[in-house]
Amino acid sequence: MRTNGSHRAAFIALAAFMAAPSLYSQQPAAAPVPGSAATAPTVGQAAPDFSLPGATRFGLLKDPVKLSDYRGQTVVLAFFARARTKG
Amino acid sequence: MEAYRDQYATLFNNGKKVVVIGISTDADTTQSSWARESGFPNLFASDPDQSVAKLYGSADGKSDTRNVFVIGADGKIAARIMRFNVLSGDAYTELGKAVAATLTPAGGSH
Repeated sequence: MRTNGSHRAAFIALAAFMAAPSLYSQQPAAAPVPGSAATAPTVGQAAPDFSLPGATRFGLLKDPVKLSDYRGQTVVLAFFARARTKG
Repeated sequence: MEAYRDQYATLFNNGKKVVVIGISTDADTTQSSWARESGFPNLFASDPDQSVAKLYGSADGKSDTRNVFVIGADGKIAARIMRFNVLSGDAYTELGKAVAATLTPAGGSH
């Protein structure tokens, strides 16, 4: 029975065939975590508009704070973690 | 926020043509009383469900997502400082420069 040689050759060929796709295909990039820095708008992109309840040291604002209302001015948008923490 | 308040004139053109908006998940009432106690001159916006933070890549649950975006008069991002280091003088210098750059006439080099 002539088995060893041809079986081994077949096995090697099969293993190579199965390995080939992983050698040539690229891993798809993992989707960025929603809300993570990778999803932040970059320089040159339009700043996403928003409308949020607003406040100042004088009290609550009657109208929402809407980014598009400030078109024509520079807006510094500072996200911070929580009031009363340092900074 | 304290440093923003103390350096407001130099960093933010004394509020002329520059609007500073602090965004956090705090209720607007919390932000208002905090601003009153500390004398913060800027606007606050309350984003409790982080819907806006997510739009700005600032809601991944880490405590250091103190990202700052400088938005020009055209509504586009002019500069951004991710994970703003509130303890670093350089960070404020960089912020002041970014704001000043939006106020100079167009035609400057980038």
